[in-house]
Amino acid sequence: MKELILQVLRDLRTYALSKNVEATFFYHEEESCLMRFANSAISLNTNEHLIRLEITAFEGRKRASYEMITDLNKLDEMKQGVDIAAEMVKHVQPLNYQPTVPVYWETFIDESVFDAALAGIASEERLEYFNQAVAGLETDEIKLSGIFSSGVSTTAQINTRSEHLQYFKSSDAQISIVLAHISLKWEVIAEQSAQKKTDLNPLGVRRDLTFLLERYRHDTPQQLPLGRYNIVFGSAAIGDLLNMMNYIGFSGGSMKRGFSFIAGDQVGQKVFSDKFNLTDDPTRLETFPFQRDHMGISRKLFPIFENGIFNAFTWLQDDADEFGASPTGHTVMHKSLVLGGGDKEVATLEELVNLPRENDLLYIPFLHYMNIVNPSKGLITASSRFGALLLKKDGSVAVPYNVRITQSLLDIFGDRLAWLSRPQAVNNTSMSYGARNPTAIVVPAFIQVNDLEISHSNSTY
Amino acid sequence: MRKKLQKQIDRLMVAGATSVDARWYPVEETSQLLMWNGNLKNASSSRESGIGVRVLYKGAWGFSASSDIGNLKALFDKALDNARVAAERVTFPVRLAGKVPIRASFISPNRIDPFTVPLAEKIAFMKELDVQLNQTGVTQRICELIFIRKQIVYLDSEESEIEKNIVEVFPTIQVMGVDAQGESHSRKFSPSLAGATRGWETLDPQLFSENGARIVREMNEVLVADVCPKDERSVILLPGIMYLQTHETIGHALELDRILGYELAYAGGSFVKLSDFGELRYGSSKLTARANATLPNSPGSFGYDDDGVPAQDNVLIDKGLLVGAITGRQMVEEANDRIGKTIFNGSSGANRATALYRVPIERMTNINIDPGSDGSLAEIVKNTEKGIILDGDKSWSIGSNREQFHFATDIGWLVKDGKVTGVVKNSTYKGETVKFYNSLSAVGDTSTWEVRSVDNCGKGQPNQIMQLGHGVPVCRFDNVTIGE
Ligand SMILES: [Zn+2]
Repeated sequence: MKELILQVLRDLRTYALSKNVEATFFYHEEESCLMRFANSAISLNTNEHLIRLEITAFEGRKRASYEMITDLNKLDEMKQGVDIAAEMVKHVQPLNYQPTVPVYWETFIDESVFDAALAGIASEERLEYFNQAVAGLETDEIKLSGIFSSGVSTTAQINTRSEHLQYFKSSDAQISIVLAHISLKWEVIAEQSAQKKTDLNPLGVRRDLTFLLERYRHDTPQQLPLGRYNIVFGSAAIGDLLNMMNYIGFSGGSMKRGFSFIAGDQVGQKVFSDKFNLTDDPTRLETFPFQRDHMGISRKLFPIFENGIFNAFTWLQDDADEFGASPTGHTVMHKSLVLGGGDKEVATLEELVNLPRENDLLYIPFLHYMNIVNPSKGLITASSRFGALLLKKDGSVAVPYNVRITQSLLDIFGDRLAWLSRPQAVNNTSMSYGARNPTAIVVPAFIQVNDLEISHSNSTY
Repeated sequence: MRKKLQKQIDRLMVAGATSVDARWYPVEETSQLLMWNGNLKNASSSRESGIGVRVLYKGAWGFSASSDIGNLKALFDKALDNARVAAERVTFPVRLAGKVPIRASFISPNRIDPFTVPLAEKIAFMKELDVQLNQTGVTQRICELIFIRKQIVYLDSEESEIEKNIVEVFPTIQVMGVDAQGESHSRKFSPSLAGATRGWETLDPQLFSENGARIVREMNEVLVADVCPKDERSVILLPGIMYLQTHETIGHALELDRILGYELAYAGGSFVKLSDFGELRYGSSKLTARANATLPNSPGSFGYDDDGVPAQDNVLIDKGLLVGAITGRQMVEEANDRIGKTIFNGSSGANRATALYRVPIERMTNINIDPGSDGSLAEIVKNTEKGIILDGDKSWSIGSNREQFHFATDIGWLVKDGKVTGVVKNSTYKGETVKFYNSLSAVGDTSTWEVRSVDNCGKGQPNQIMQLGHGVPVCRFDNVTIGE
């Protein structure tokens, strides 16, 4: 299959050259399966096999692209796509900067993120995973929901500037399991990300669910008083916060367009707590990494924050072209963000609950429906969801109704950052819209942030 | 192709399926143009074609989709296989509410098919707007045009055959500026869906020019404005934010699949319980909301849904009382069964899929608020003691059961003793859904009513982005917390 893909791309390149069209080709193929559960049943079992080809034509400073869903046996249709893109580019207006057309200096094939066993997982095995993960936990009132999404993504690129190709193949699974009380409306969740089949750990998921259920089943939820709390965020919440920062923090293009809370002159300055170390690390296979970006730039460990000091913006090639910046190897479908762990030895929720504590702690594992209230201040808002706990200083544990926080990322990761756990967790952040693009972020299992305000507190679920 | 599809449908029925449908997309085209500060950053087109097959077997769904239409047998078999595995874990066997077989077609009304307009003409339209937006105070100028054209042929095992040809146009212009404190502010414009058609003709240069001048002026007012106060007062929501309020806290809250727990693992549930229908005072008596898929011109009007059920106009909230939900064929049966009585009389014609490779789910059509009897915007302002007028969707965040919300808007105008006293920046408001709608104290008349389109409503796993509409008047709510 790989050879056929590469040959089709070579044929398209030859065709474009024969027509004097300057072009880049981006091939994306996905085999996606998604088993969805609701109300303790499989509510949907679906699979899609889709091949997308994006052709971008260049003519001086002009650029236009055409994307098609197609098949490898439809070479003539793809060639028509080249003609369409070539026709489009004639009629667009020039950019006021020169867009870079990539030149690959060698062919690069990377299948290190691909695991044939995970790629071949059958529907029955997905069902069995769920059955094991919730064995004995469902009742008439407590129902199972969730997804087992798995698939294979293949991307390949060529362009008319050089004969070399880039080819990446990955396997992935994103699993999330929710147990919800249908009349009381609370929900607990456990998740896992997998890059290879041996990562699958239904019993680990079951352990987490069991622990949470135990708290939720035997406690009466309470409305928290408004005010300031010391909050422990779980890995999913941390992942969401960092993804937001990826958008309104260290992206060079966002900064130039006034959509960032970090200014251009803050490079080299302290922005966050000195405990904060964020890198883009394409050596971490759990993040489904790209070792080369679309421009052919070799991707290496890229420190973004070191001890809270802002090291560098990340740049898409197009933004770098427009604003005269140097490209940083970040013209990719996703980065490989890794937030370094701290010195707190806490890996599981049970360990967190058992930690001695001097004050009440509010544990928020998930932040629901996060949005940006003010990008210039890094101000975001979101609600808690799924298994929040109030860990009281007397050692007891209570279940709170959901709360809202409206806070700046500068506060969350600034001097109020009390500790980060040393053990890390992989948080799968894949979206299932559009072309399959498995993404995950490696973060400490927990971080504690002191003195954050709860601005709304629910009186029910 | 239709005969081949029907043959496969018949074959699966013989193999034990209880319902089979196929959606064949001969073509779906999208064209996107984005001009940013005069640069045509994105000029792209895309084309998709293929088939999605949905099979119901022993009370469970299986779905399969492919762009390769060369092997229909394999495609249909895969959908059946997926249903067979799903049938191993069934708690409420899926039943479909009755429907009448339909053989019909729907063409969305447009005078000028935007795909026939030359690219150069579209770019010239944007360029002219970009020049007009290039004014003092404006640091970012954004002009975006999105065109969609899809042809969908629907066939099912109940003798339906429906062809839809739908064209959509989504234009937006936006300006941004930076205030003295270094904070960015923005103002944007998308036209109300006035008129009866939705083709290229909706891009009226004069309308865009006038509104372009307005958003530049208003953004410059925001740049030098005071910060929104933090207090409690009446909020007067213009259609540019009322549409989103309606979307998030009436539309999504009343999707029956959500109410039944089918989105719990992802987008969340709903505070609404089945026992609330006919009982819950969702809002004040001034609130009448409906799902109206029969508006002549809106992406929420599509002729027939992807269950093959005709578009309908249903009341959701009648003078404050909750009476209806947004639903397809499946959820109605389950809801009635669960509560042990008939609260829904059939599908409301709201099951739609975003693409050939997605399964249909409950989607909003046009979720509208009926115009009221409290006059024009000027009259509502005149009758407001202490308030703020809000417009422009800057940020929105809603609790997982749609029970509470926080919105930020692009602009606010303070109102004191019936008069507008000035513009404020960083305006926000928050509330609890039922309490908020019960504080609805004024609903504008038809002069304030506008139909807004939404081109990016996300829901479902795998995720689907859907297009729909909201016809809403100006609404005033009392005792609302702002400025947080
Ligand atoms: Zn939505």
